Amino acid sequence: MTALLGVGAYAFFAFRYPYHLHFQEQYQLFEWTRGYFAEVASVPGGLADWVGRCLTQFCYYAPAGAALLAALLCGVQLLVFAACRRRTLPCYAASFLPVVPLLAFYCDENALFGGAVALLLTLGAAVLCARVRNDRLRCWLAAGLIPLLYLACGALTVVFAGVVVAAEAPRSSRRAWALGVAALLLLLGSLLQAQQLFPYPLRRLAYGVHYHRYRSFFPAWLWLAALLCVAVAVGSALPLRERPARRRLAFGAGLFALAALAGTGLTLRCADDAKEEWARYDFMVRNGMWNRLMMQADRKNPDNPMTVACLNLALAKTGRMGDHMFDYFQNGPEGLLTTFVRSHTNPVPTGEIYWNLGMVNTAQRFAFEAQEAIPDFQKSARCYRRLAETNIVNGDLAVARKYLRSLEHTLFYRRWAKETAAALDAGDVFERQPALARARDLRLKEHDFFFSAEETDSMLGLLKVEHPANGMALDYLMAWCLLRKDLDRFVEVLPMVDTPSLPKSWQEALLLRWVLTHSDFEGLPEYLSRAYAQRIVGFINDNRAGKSEAEMQRAYGDTYWFYYYYRYRQ
Amino acid sequence: MRQSLRLVLAALALAACSPKARDAAPAGVLPDIYPDYVGVTVPAGIAPLDFSLAGAGALDVRISAPDGTELRVRGKDATRIPARRWRPLLDRSRGDSLRITVCARIDGRWKAFEPFGIFVSPDPIDYGLNFRMLEPGYELYSKMGIYERELGSFRQHALLENTQFDGCVNCHAYNRGDPSRMSLHIRGEHGATLLQIDGRLTAYDTHTDESLGLCVYPYWHPSGDYIAYATNTTRQSFHVQPDKLIEVFDHASDLQVYDIRNNQIITAPQIKQEGLWETFPAFSPDGRTLYFTAAEAVAIPEGLTQSHYNLMKVSFDPQTGRIGHDVETLIDAAALGKSVAFPKPSFDGRFLVYTLCDYGTFPIWHHESDLWLLDLETGETRPLDEVNSADTDSYHDWSANSRWLVFSSRRDDGLFTRLYIAHIGEDGVAGKPFMLPQRDPERYYQDLFLSYNVPEFVTGPVRLDQVRARKIINSPERVRFGFRWSE
Repeated sequence: MTALLGVGAYAFFAFRYPYHLHFQEQYQLFEWTRGYFAEVASVPGGLADWVGRCLTQFCYYAPAGAALLAALLCGVQLLVFAACRRRTLPCYAASFLPVVPLLAFYCDENALFGGAVALLLTLGAAVLCARVRNDRLRCWLAAGLIPLLYLACGALTVVFAGVVVAAEAPRSSRRAWALGVAALLLLLGSLLQAQQLFPYPLRRLAYGVHYHRYRSFFPAWLWLAALLCVAVAVGSALPLRERPARRRLAFGAGLFALAALAGTGLTLRCADDAKEEWARYDFMVRNGMWNRLMMQADRKNPDNPMTVACLNLALAKTGRMGDHMFDYFQNGPEGLLTTFVRSHTNPVPTGEIYWNLGMVNTAQRFAFEAQEAIPDFQKSARCYRRLAETNIVNGDLAVARKYLRSLEHTLFYRRWAKETAAALDAGDVFERQPALARARDLRLKEHDFFFSAEETDSMLGLLKVEHPANGMALDYLMAWCLLRKDLDRFVEVLPMVDTPSLPKSWQEALLLRWVLTHSDFEGLPEYLSRAYAQRIVGFINDNRAGKSEAEMQRAYGDTYWFYYYYRYRQ
Repeated sequence: MRQSLRLVLAALALAACSPKARDAAPAGVLPDIYPDYVGVTVPAGIAPLDFSLAGAGALDVRISAPDGTELRVRGKDATRIPARRWRPLLDRSRGDSLRITVCARIDGRWKAFEPFGIFVSPDPIDYGLNFRMLEPGYELYSKMGIYERELGSFRQHALLENTQFDGCVNCHAYNRGDPSRMSLHIRGEHGATLLQIDGRLTAYDTHTDESLGLCVYPYWHPSGDYIAYATNTTRQSFHVQPDKLIEVFDHASDLQVYDIRNNQIITAPQIKQEGLWETFPAFSPDGRTLYFTAAEAVAIPEGLTQSHYNLMKVSFDPQTGRIGHDVETLIDAAALGKSVAFPKPSFDGRFLVYTLCDYGTFPIWHHESDLWLLDLETGETRPLDEVNSADTDSYHDWSANSRWLVFSSRRDDGLFTRLYIAHIGEDGVAGKPFMLPQRDPERYYQDLFLSYNVPEFVTGPVRLDQVRARKIINSPERVRFGFRWSE
């Protein structure tokens, strides 16, 4: 059954929920240095946090992250069983119960691996401690370990205390009481002492400093798992009447069924598909998987501004934006260049868009701000890489080297960092890294102004003016005007177009403006398709006939006209 | 027997290493050490000036005092000077120079570099420094705090960090370095101005109907009865060109003086003028003059490059808290197309050091920012070329005896602000500044992704009860400022 749990958990995280793992990985920077260890491990729960972060770095490859997370869950289950006094089927089945809330906990993309590691370490310590045969030594060891475990694993040390007291009860209830009182006092003492020594509020020290990314969030599922660990250990220690084997079997099977049903149900209920989709699009943007991203959009039309913005980036990168952007749902200019928010999430993919457009400083700002906004004050290896890149492009090589040096201490970014540093030393970084050369070529050199979201069209226009080959800037400029339904501005910037034929959506916009300002197609420019002209006539007639939005969408859902009349109604 | 064994081992070790260094070929140049301590002026109480040498596989350094006492230090890529032996060496060198001879193994060969001196000033330096540390960023902040560093050692600890509450710690100031009188500003959800006077910590709500609200850029009156603050509406914008990344500017700013005894903000029309932005207040050492900077209001951000702050002064009566009527311009930077920031008079009343940049009120993001010295007796002003660098040199503070100036500089890499300390002689001539010493400074500063911000000298350790401070900050209770107009 443990193997089944492992396979199930692995399958869920590797196939159903892999992008959450990538999300986890990109919001930390795990360095294999003594300094990093000292920094992380020097707060209550720091050792568990360090181990958790160490494991999290493997989420760079989702299957590896899923395997580790599944192993952690199996480890907790096995240790809970090991902590049970009786080796019976019901106890074995009950040992799966704490894993149920843990699964729910790890459906949250901000639940940190350190929580499960802390649970594992405290359970492991409790099991080892309970196996010491000498009564006096066992009690002293248990008492002595509490402050140490509090330092290493944080507030979940309460699990250790609960399990060792439960294990002591059958041996001597007097000793168990004494140990329980001592454990309680030691836990309280550790907590109060920690308040003096560490710069965290008592509340955080009490429910865990690094179990969850958000500082003010109480990780209820994790604590429920902790409670169940203790409850199972205590339950197994209670003096129960001997039951017939059949009843034990039935009880055990019932518990198995309960754990399986609750685990599956709760996990599926807690899985956040919208966030998984967000993380999937972000992952594909990060890795330049443009075709895969569009295929995903074909399967399910994205409707969140951020995922739509990712799709639009993919369309622009593959030169399909002008022709196909209205094949998909569009939710206004916000789905093109998402407004900056003070968060660690959206600025990351939005920064990718600016990077690809050649707005290097803005990409740098978004990467920096996203990293600064990480709620638990960690750094991000992905953002460090981007900051190294932007500083190289901007010529701030000393700063770039600083970021590279840090990345050289990581497992999965080391190679890139070393190669880039070597290229910097050799002076041919732009030859070796075409992405950097592209950004250097595209970035603004002659015009300086302050970034302003209200003047996005001017910024995009200048990118195109300074670097006429920057077709993506033009695509975005046109799309910006279209999505804002600003046809006058669209026509104003049209002379910047230097291609012989216009893409579909641009022609549709021009035709729409034509019909809004003319009574017939007399004098319609040659470059506008007659087929599209016929189609807009149909659109206008159907619209006037009062056809429903659904009917209009079926017939014209891929046109700019449908967007113009039925979407982004401010 | 044991002692003899030690002696034999030491002799063997010496024999194993020294011939190589002794046979070093003269390099004929000064060593390219990091930090650049060549020819700097230091106080006798400073922590060991450890350094590293680019490309060195081994170092053999001799540090000699004028009386011939010598300290020999070996290291792999950086020195590790023992503090116990460093201090007496400095004491013996007061008013004279230490002589440093560096031998290094580079590419397998030993080289002997030209010796250099470190001048040890007889002027003592304060106990330590307080500063804020945070990433040099845009609008958001991660972990940050106010830290205290003891200058005689490498000991540094946090006074207050934002892990304890949601918000950021900001402008902090002491009365002439007196650690028992501290003003500290907290921004964010739990925003407050904290005052700690003789161990009593109080959180204030500085909003009044008559003022802009937040109290920033504090400067204590020498009597300890007043604190001058600027109150600003500050915004940021971001360049698209790489030369300057960020601009921080005010849309409005005024000055106000907080009367501690009466819990009242005092202001006057002459320091709260329509169409004029007043900021960066500083009291003269006699407490009878208030220096500040002021610029004519311009349209922001388009007119930002036309925003030039002059150095001004106005009289102040410590008995009544009355602010004088006549505002005088001390330095007309606008006429030069420049802008003054951070005016800080020395506590002996002789000089005033300020930061000069091309425009605006936030010189830290201006590469051209330099420190300038104003002789308050003669009125002459000059750039402090002895300490300035090609990159930003900005915020500064005087030691209590007015002989040392700590300032922040981006000369290291153009982004991460580091602290430098310079000796300022009685004649206003500065010695070559030295970087704040660290154990293995190259590694320390390479790994440090935080900038030093607002360095302030303190004459002793600041006693701030963190648990109490945390409770006070997180509690909603605030003492409200009163208000009165200056007579």
